[in-house]
Amino acid sequence: MMTEITKTTTRLQDNIRDYNWQYFLKDNITGSWYQTAWIAILALVAALFAVTQFNEAPTATIAILAAWGVGTIMVVVGTLFQHHTKVSRWLKNNLISSVSNALLSLLMMLVLGMAARGIALWAFINANFNPAETAPEFQSQSYATWGVIWGARKLLMTGRMTPEDSPRVWLALWFILGMWALTYITGRPALRDKLQRVRQGIMGLWILSPVILYVFLAGIANSPVYNIGAALTGVVIAVAIYALFWTQKIIRFSWMNLISAAAAWPAAYTIWWAIGRSGILPPINVDTWGGLMLSLIVASSVVILSMPIGMMLALGRRSEVYGVPAWITWPVAIGVSIWGFTTTPQLLADSRSPIEQLFAFWPIAVLVLAYGFQRAFKGNVVAGASTAFIELIRSVPLITLLFMGIIMAPFFFSAGTSIAKPWPVIVGYTLFSAAYTAEVIRGGLQAIPVGQYEASDSLGLNGFQKMRFIILPQAIRIVIPAIVGQFIGAFKSSSLVSVVGLMDLLGIIRAIVANPQWLGLRKELYVFLFVVYFTGSFVMSSYSRRLEVQLGVGER
Amino acid sequence: MKFEGPAASFVDEIIICENVHKWFDEFEALRGVDLRVKPGEVIVILGPSGSGKSTFIRCINRLEEHQEGRIIVDGIELSHDIRNIQEIRREVGMVFQQFNLFPHLTVLENITLAPINVRKWTRDHAEEVAMQWLTRVGIPEQANKYPGQLSGGQQQRVAMARTLTMQPKVLMFDEPTSALDPEMIKEVLDVMRDLAHSGYTILAVTHEMGFAREVANRVIFMDAGKIVEENTPDEFFNNPKEERTKLFLSQILHH
Repeated sequence: MMTEITKTTTRLQDNIRDYNWQYFLKDNITGSWYQTAWIAILALVAALFAVTQFNEAPTATIAILAAWGVGTIMVVVGTLFQHHTKVSRWLKNNLISSVSNALLSLLMMLVLGMAARGIALWAFINANFNPAETAPEFQSQSYATWGVIWGARKLLMTGRMTPEDSPRVWLALWFILGMWALTYITGRPALRDKLQRVRQGIMGLWILSPVILYVFLAGIANSPVYNIGAALTGVVIAVAIYALFWTQKIIRFSWMNLISAAAAWPAAYTIWWAIGRSGILPPINVDTWGGLMLSLIVASSVVILSMPIGMMLALGRRSEVYGVPAWITWPVAIGVSIWGFTTTPQLLADSRSPIEQLFAFWPIAVLVLAYGFQRAFKGNVVAGASTAFIELIRSVPLITLLFMGIIMAPFFFSAGTSIAKPWPVIVGYTLFSAAYTAEVIRGGLQAIPVGQYEASDSLGLNGFQKMRFIILPQAIRIVIPAIVGQFIGAFKSSSLVSVVGLMDLLGIIRAIVANPQWLGLRKELYVFLFVVYFTGSFVMSSYSRRLEVQLGVGER
Repeated sequence: MKFEGPAASFVDEIIICENVHKWFDEFEALRGVDLRVKPGEVIVILGPSGSGKSTFIRCINRLEEHQEGRIIVDGIELSHDIRNIQEIRREVGMVFQQFNLFPHLTVLENITLAPINVRKWTRDHAEEVAMQWLTRVGIPEQANKYPGQLSGGQQQRVAMARTLTMQPKVLMFDEPTSALDPEMIKEVLDVMRDLAHSGYTILAVTHEMGFAREVANRVIFMDAGKIVEENTPDEFFNNPKEERTKLFLSQILHH
């Protein structure tokens, strides 16, 4: 034992004697006058900071100084012995590689430690969580009064919805949670293959979920008359679309599918009407929507809708169809003229001269115009229109679009129709987001090698199949990181709707701050806002990373 | 294994090209190409690089558009009508230099995608035929892998199975061995030989002289966008008529 200590001491003495101190000094302190000055300033600042913090919080400061001291000694000893432990090597490589870095580390430890201490004291240790104690006499600069979050929970979650409507919000919430749970459970590897049909059903329910949520949260008005015309128009449109898809060879003909396509709309209309008639889900004033619920509705509508719209715009911008395809011109022209002829009797009755009688037959002009348009126009209409739309939207700030939505929406509707504020905002925001999404997707489309297009063509796939099976799956995979970035941006920017007067989370928080009941409480609410947005964005980006890993399978 | 040969054709000449011209902007890539192909013929197209041989066969299934002349495949004339083009593409299979497999689909999905969606086969039938072809090109065990997991030669054989499962009447090869390592060329050539001997109509652009000599009914030599010489393989290699051909042959054979 004794001999060992003596041996170690001798070795240390040897090492210290052999160590090139002059080299160390020259390298770290006396290399140049500005290096010396830098070290001196750093040491002075660290010392001053330590002294100030010592007066504020002696224990914490001493703990930090001690930790730093022990670390430094470990590195010094390790260096002199020319033998590092795991810890001392890590410290040497990361925190204390030179005198300058050692001092910087000390300073950072003091700053971060003090900040952490301050936050912990304010937010947790000294904080008051009692919802009953939020009045000004309970408040202090030195601790948080979290009671306000619980006290104002209804406003924060749903805004100014009336208490009678809150069961509907719970219904919507449980519906979403139930859907998630079902999707998760049926997606387990053990059940995945057995429950193929069930999973398809759940998928269908997800696709319908916007409608279901709309019905829960906005309700259906009770209309006394069953509108047979509305039901049958849907049949005509469904059959027309089916015929279009069939003649374009996108789908195969089958009586089953045709009948279900034709029956879908009347069935949906009947259910809709019946629910309205029964009064189970009476209408809710959409203008009362607010809080986190409105933020989520705006953000998710924008995210969900901007994807398909953006995809269409991206494909449209790259379209190489010259002239107007007949299958677009004629259905539109014929549809407009059929509707137009229903106005003819009224126009004839109102007319006072032969010229005006002629005007009553304006739908004929529509058909002639369509014919001429189709013959004469040879430019790339689809690409031109898509490009114009994208560039127009991208050249306008989002906030301008939102104001335009709010102010100009009434012009599009006949006088007397009132339109709830969230709708034009969602539409404007979706168009904005779709324009950006389109450009991201276009980037992905351009990254696909030309050979993929040629292989699809040479196998006889048509344009739709080529996009659906070959190009888009690869392009979307490429753009997932950018698209998720876009969506996170859309989620965060949804707080801009508070500027045009919507009571989303930010809007309602500003209202709460201004409310005399919660006088003096700001920090707590804005910290809550930060936590909510951070959690949402973090979940989205983590999910995207997982998705990338999942989809990366088999990538070349 | 029960195996069906190429689909029967009811025309005398399955490909008719008359005076085909093609410009890339100012550059005239094809300067009046005439070619008539009977069902079951194996034709190898040779020529120096830039002579327009790839461009020519790419015109036949409209991967490139010709500006003058006529191309008639299986009785259908190529026009701007997209339906005509798609009908021809169904009957004309093409194998590319770079394979052009779909990297996000498995081998089996790569092969069955077009038969299911274009020929409207059921999935079971398509997979059955696909497996027959995979067996014939010698890699049935790779059916559920992704293209990125295969070697170049295997990928090219998958590309051939993909083309053949569509049961085309004409097969076109666009330098199918040029992107392969030397030791993998043989496995691809073996499949091509096999196909040539089972009655397929084949149009092959290739630098494999052995293949041309052995299985071609006719060899076509192109230079500067024109057919310079058209001959039987024996005559072509042993007794070429044109000076340009002799020069080309001396360049490729003597080193």
